[in-house]
Amino acid sequence: MKFVDEFRDADLGRVLAAQIVATVEPGRHYKVMEVCGGHTHTIYKYGVDDLLPTNVELVHGPGCPVCVIPMGRVDDAISVARRPEVIFTCFGDMLRVPGSNGTLLEAKAEGADVRMVYSPLDALRIARQNPGRDVVFFAIGFETTAPSTALTLMRARAEGIANFFCFCNHVTIVPPLRALLESPDLRLDGFIGPGHVSTVVGARPFEFIPKDYGKPVVISGFEPLDVLQSVYMVLCQLAQGRCEVENQYTRVVPYDGNPRALQALSEVFELRPHFEWRGLGFISQSGLRLSSAYGAFDAELRYTVPGIRVADPKACQCGEVLKGVIKPWECKVFGTACTPERPIGTCMVSSEGACAAYYNYGRFARERQVV
Amino acid sequence: MSQAREAACDRDRGCITCSDEGVLLRVVGSGIDGLTVCADAEGRLAEVNVDLIDGVAEGDVLLVHAGVALVRVGGPEKSLA
Repeated sequence: MKFVDEFRDADLGRVLAAQIVATVEPGRHYKVMEVCGGHTHTIYKYGVDDLLPTNVELVHGPGCPVCVIPMGRVDDAISVARRPEVIFTCFGDMLRVPGSNGTLLEAKAEGADVRMVYSPLDALRIARQNPGRDVVFFAIGFETTAPSTALTLMRARAEGIANFFCFCNHVTIVPPLRALLESPDLRLDGFIGPGHVSTVVGARPFEFIPKDYGKPVVISGFEPLDVLQSVYMVLCQLAQGRCEVENQYTRVVPYDGNPRALQALSEVFELRPHFEWRGLGFISQSGLRLSSAYGAFDAELRYTVPGIRVADPKACQCGEVLKGVIKPWECKVFGTACTPERPIGTCMVSSEGACAAYYNYGRFARERQVV
Repeated sequence: MSQAREAACDRDRGCITCSDEGVLLRVVGSGIDGLTVCADAEGRLAEVNVDLIDGVAEGDVLLVHAGVALVRVGGPEKSLA
């Protein structure tokens, strides 16, 4: 069995597209949200939406962690990074996310010791190599990324490394989904669930969506045929009057997730009472912080940070994009003042942000012709 | 040792930071500091923490995110392509 090529087969894609056309009711408009930024990226890279009937609309959800980071957290990160004793490490995308007074990349240009890493383990290695400096890792991501941070902190504690700290911005996927489902300005028919988050948490945490809100969920892989088949499975549930959590990505996702990863998360992290999400505001118990057992590694306890809530730029409509209320091209600054080279909003920074996906694959040109 | 992970951070293949991005790597041997050396489909190497998975063996295909293997998706018979 192959994992990639077979899931990019154009002929199979056309078969699935025909099945979708045969499944939908012509007079009904369907709105299906893909939760994950990885799915958004696939949809516009491969033109999955071009294969769908016009009455099936894909709505892009808040599943890109870079896109949901509020400006105030970026300001906090920069304030830590500017400290002379600090080596500040983070993933590449975060370097270009604007705060209220610049980006981490600009702070680096001005002299801050900011370094890009590909894993928290790389940051821990830097800490071992620089015992006289504080090494801070900007932890970000959903449950897919959090185990990596957790294992790194467990290793740091086991090795007795005292100069490694974590600025924790990990978030969880279920609370924002519940917030979206409670939102009065968004009517959704179903969800394409996040595949790799589910390798950790499993499918069970999404059962509240059909149970409490009557919407189908299909956990999906990331190749174009995965996404197309998942759309078909959502539409089949709707056509048959079913409403449940289905797993399209069975070749990777176990229904119960990874218990060892969940154990690591529960040991290292605890839920914050609330956490701010760009565009969605404060959501209860949606963010993680280090547990008291790991408090010695918590950058927010070691340093004083501004902690000020910063409003988004007025021209930026990332919040509405993240809620799926508007399409990226409907934002006033999309593709003009806001581009991947000079982003105003976070959705244009990350390659999996909806705005960047639209922009990078030329979707704005076609959409503007439609308007 | 970060070649494979580096390759995952571009416009076409997505960024390692983002939500759900993961890459399939094959186990090729032992590394330093208790890590495991894995290779992507093009043979680029990366050091991976496999603490979350039982019984990882050479030839296994793993889904890796941010330097950590989250799930074993197959053995030597599985293709990365």
